[in-house]
Amino acid sequence: MTSGSVLLEAKQLGKQFKTGSGTLDLFVNLNLTIHAGETIAIIGKSGAGKSTLLSLLAGLDTATSGTVEFEGKPLESLTDAERAKLRADKIAFIFQSFHLLPELTAQDNVALPLEIRQQAGAESKASEWLRNVGLGDRTDHYPSQLSGGEQQRVAIARAFAGNPALLFADEPTGNLDEATGQQIVEQLFSLNEQQGTTLILITHDLELAKRCQRRIQLSNGAIEELS
Amino acid sequence: MSSAIPRIARRQLWMQLRTIEWRVLIFAALLAVTLTSFLSIVSDRLESGLLRESASVLGADLVVRSSRPIHEQRTELAKELGLTTTQVIQFPTMVGAGDNLILSSAKVITAPYPLRGEVITDPPMSATVPEPGTAWAEERIIDQLGLSIGDTLQFGYADLVLTATLKQSPDRGSGFNTLNPHLLVNKQDLEKSAVLGPGSRAEFRLLISGENSALKSFETQLKPTLESHERILSLINDQPVTGNALANGLSYVRLSSLTTLLLASLTILLALRRFGHAQQSRSALFLSMGLTPKALVTLYFWQLGIAATVIALLGGTAGALLASLADLWLSGLLPQALPNAQWSSYIIGPALGYAMLLLLGMPPALEQAKVPVAQLLRSDQSSTTQKASWGLYAVSLVLLSAVLLLFLAAPAAAAVLLVMLGISGLLFGWLAQLILHSLGHFLANRLALGRLLIMRLRQQRKWHRLQAGVMVLLLMLLSVIWVARQDLVKEWQAQFPEDVPNYFLINIQEWQKPGVDQFLADREIDTELYPMIRGRLVDLNDAPIRPQLNEEQLKDNSLRRELNLTWREQPPVQNQIIQGEWWDPESNDHQISIERDMLEDLGLELGDRLGFDVGGQPVSGVITSVREVKWESFQPNFYVIFSPAALQSYPGTWITSFKLAEERKAQANELLREFPSLTLIDIDQLMKQLAGWLERLAESSAFVLIMTLATGLILVTITLLQALEQRKTEVALLQTLGARATETKHLDLLEFGLLGLVCGSLAVFSAEITLAAMNEFLLKIPLSAHWELWFTLPALASFAFIAIASLLRAPLKIEQCYAILKNNG
Ligand SMILES: Nc1ncnc2c1ncn2[C@@H]1O[C@H](COP(=O)(O)OP(=O)(O)OP(=O)(O)O)[C@@H](O)[C@H]1O
Ligand SMILES: [Mg+2]
Repeated sequence: MTSGSVLLEAKQLGKQFKTGSGTLDLFVNLNLTIHAGETIAIIGKSGAGKSTLLSLLAGLDTATSGTVEFEGKPLESLTDAERAKLRADKIAFIFQSFHLLPELTAQDNVALPLEIRQQAGAESKASEWLRNVGLGDRTDHYPSQLSGGEQQRVAIARAFAGNPALLFADEPTGNLDEATGQQIVEQLFSLNEQQGTTLILITHDLELAKRCQRRIQLSNGAIEELS
Repeated sequence: MSSAIPRIARRQLWMQLRTIEWRVLIFAALLAVTLTSFLSIVSDRLESGLLRESASVLGADLVVRSSRPIHEQRTELAKELGLTTTQVIQFPTMVGAGDNLILSSAKVITAPYPLRGEVITDPPMSATVPEPGTAWAEERIIDQLGLSIGDTLQFGYADLVLTATLKQSPDRGSGFNTLNPHLLVNKQDLEKSAVLGPGSRAEFRLLISGENSALKSFETQLKPTLESHERILSLINDQPVTGNALANGLSYVRLSSLTTLLLASLTILLALRRFGHAQQSRSALFLSMGLTPKALVTLYFWQLGIAATVIALLGGTAGALLASLADLWLSGLLPQALPNAQWSSYIIGPALGYAMLLLLGMPPALEQAKVPVAQLLRSDQSSTTQKASWGLYAVSLVLLSAVLLLFLAAPAAAAVLLVMLGISGLLFGWLAQLILHSLGHFLANRLALGRLLIMRLRQQRKWHRLQAGVMVLLLMLLSVIWVARQDLVKEWQAQFPEDVPNYFLINIQEWQKPGVDQFLADREIDTELYPMIRGRLVDLNDAPIRPQLNEEQLKDNSLRRELNLTWREQPPVQNQIIQGEWWDPESNDHQISIERDMLEDLGLELGDRLGFDVGGQPVSGVITSVREVKWESFQPNFYVIFSPAALQSYPGTWITSFKLAEERKAQANELLREFPSLTLIDIDQLMKQLAGWLERLAESSAFVLIMTLATGLILVTITLLQALEQRKTEVALLQTLGARATETKHLDLLEFGLLGLVCGSLAVFSAEITLAAMNEFLLKIPLSAHWELWFTLPALASFAFIAIASLLRAPLKIEQCYAILKNNG
């Protein structure tokens, strides 16, 4: 697999939390460069700061020090509206708890991000993506009528439907049993390969981590690239 | 933004209608909108039908109203200025047909009439004034007398043929005239009927219309020469009649609806706040998909707007439907059908619904924009509790208060009430929580559940404050209004002993007096005729009185209009001399016996000399005695009585009142047949009408009370719901730690039982204080405790809390406990 241009770059990134007794330095001076098309796993003990790092990289949270540049533009310099536009056009998420809207059918859930950007043909695109994840016959079902694994597949379809350049997944199989988790992982990687999306994934599962091109371990406030 | 937003808003509202907070919100908002619509439509109809003296109901551009025949000069001045004029004489009179009599308001008119607005009759008439020998009557006269078109009715000595039903007419007159059914009569029939002798009580009006500039100069020229018995009504100084009992009743009912609106607002506020919290992960999801914060807020305003539209439509319709029953509800009391309401009164309720939802929804909607998207990365579902934006809430509450005050149309009174309700709610809540806290400590070592109870009371203290504040206020208001109403009715009935006169006979002319005396004596009707002469108080101790009085005294009624004067040899039996001495009937001195209040209000003393202007002639006398008058005795009562020597020679009419038992009422008809020009006023009919209005007033305040109670209970429901998750976690923890399900249930019972007891007791306490103050200062009746309140209120409060709480939650099974703890971890 060939690595493209630099997509995301963290420079001297640091994050501090104010706690009751003082400050907690989660990490300092963290540097990370991610190229377009790469798949990266972030691993580490619970509480190491994986989710925090991910939200910094996605521009959902602001760093205490350092910068994150997306396609060469520092995220901190963008306005709320510009960041929203960036998320709408370029970035997608898959969450551990699937976060589907209960009042919408599977198809409408997938179509939602397309509707938000006022993209034409949202419905047909949504049903096409549901077919891609093997739920072509469940388009009219509501989340409450789907199993956990099926719900996560709808969430994957939703993430890919927008054609993102960058996809974040925080423990996407955390709420699923092993076999179902395995299917989801297969789906995720095969779609990712087709689409050439850059994937940043948090996981506790070392097998899953091994399927990524790069593995980054976060511990004691520093990152280490595993070979 | 995106055209998808309204659709997303609609879908999500539709789903969320199943949540308790939206149901509670919709219910509270519907009650508020329905009540407001109903009240604004009905009061608009009553006001425009009976109270408002606006252009179209004035019947002219300008009216000179007088208690004496209109002066020639007035008419001439108007003619000189090129204005059109016409005269109206209106007075109460009994109209008869067969054996039936009804008290009505006769309006004697000549063409052109009216100068503005129109008279509508059924069947429609080409003329706007009845032909001589005919009359038009409002529905209630026709109903009561059992007439149909073409029948004859008796108007004094004249028999008139009823040719049309009067559906609508401007120029209703003032006071009792507005509520009595009208009879329109041609001026040419007045003399024949002989109902109006010299000095008779009547309202004389000069209706004027024409060019604006001419009207203005008429008014400016008239003003300096205006006499005390005259008044100008014009579009410029046109205002709704204040001090009218019906108007007061209406504003009372409207004001009492404030509590309902306040409780509904609080409910909506809490429901929307809860909704806002529940929306956080949804909002985070929308933001993660790239919806801008601005679009997200727009989305929530769409949702609120859609909900408000539904509520406005439903509530507005319900209010209008209820209001359309008003004619039925007020039947027998109204002189004619009420006019339709102005369209603006239909939108007040719905507008209030929009204001409530959008203003109270503003803080939670704006807060959504600040939801951190990163919270989606957490594995748990619990939303982060953000700091509430108090500034936003303050702004929205201030705006909403402004809207409420605007609606209530009596901003000062409403503002005072609003502040009082707010402060007492806070105070009661704080007190109740304090008492509950000490109770908990007292019970801590005496009950098995004591320590758990303390923990619970501490954890729920904020909610207890709110719940108690609302509950105490609610129970207190309800019991005060309930008890005070009963006291008022008792007081009202006690005022009129059995043998008070039920007929007033007025306008008896000098030449009729011997005949009337004879008639009454023949039938052994025990009564006495009083002479009545009108005069204006002008001098005090031989100098003009006005410069000698202070500002407050100048406002006294006795100076603003003509007084009814009388003369007597003996003091009236129902009056008591409290100062000075009654005169010797033979004395030639001009003496005065004065009523106590008038003496005090004007700062007069025994020995003062009062001078009156009686039809242009000066009459004076020295105050030699002061009387206490029982105004509610239904006897002719007078502020000023002269010794015979002073007033005997002046022309006047005679007045009397007497009692006729139910079975002798036919004698009233005989009297009128023999003396058709007398004005007989049936007090029973009047009282029945008055009692009817009072009853309706009581019913409408009961209606408002029920609405208040309903909103209050909804509010308690939402406060209990707020704490529900917290309670569930706590109960689950206790149960997994080994407490039995029954124990946690007992803890709930204990908590709500105590809360109810404390609230009930506080309510009893404050209700008793309020009632005592009312009895002491307003009703002036002896103080008494209301024992029935002492146990009903605490019992009621405890029951309400326990009932709502147990409706809201079924006991938890142990498996559920684990699930709850796991999710909230
Ligand atoms: N807003 C915050 N304020 C204070 N501390 C925080 C905040 N957010 C996260 N933390 C702390 O930062 C640390 C890292 O949290 P984070 O959620 O990034 O860990 P993680 O590696 O994702 O763990 P897990 O594998 O359990 O999801 C934790 O100790 C957490 O308590
Ligand atoms: Mg994490």
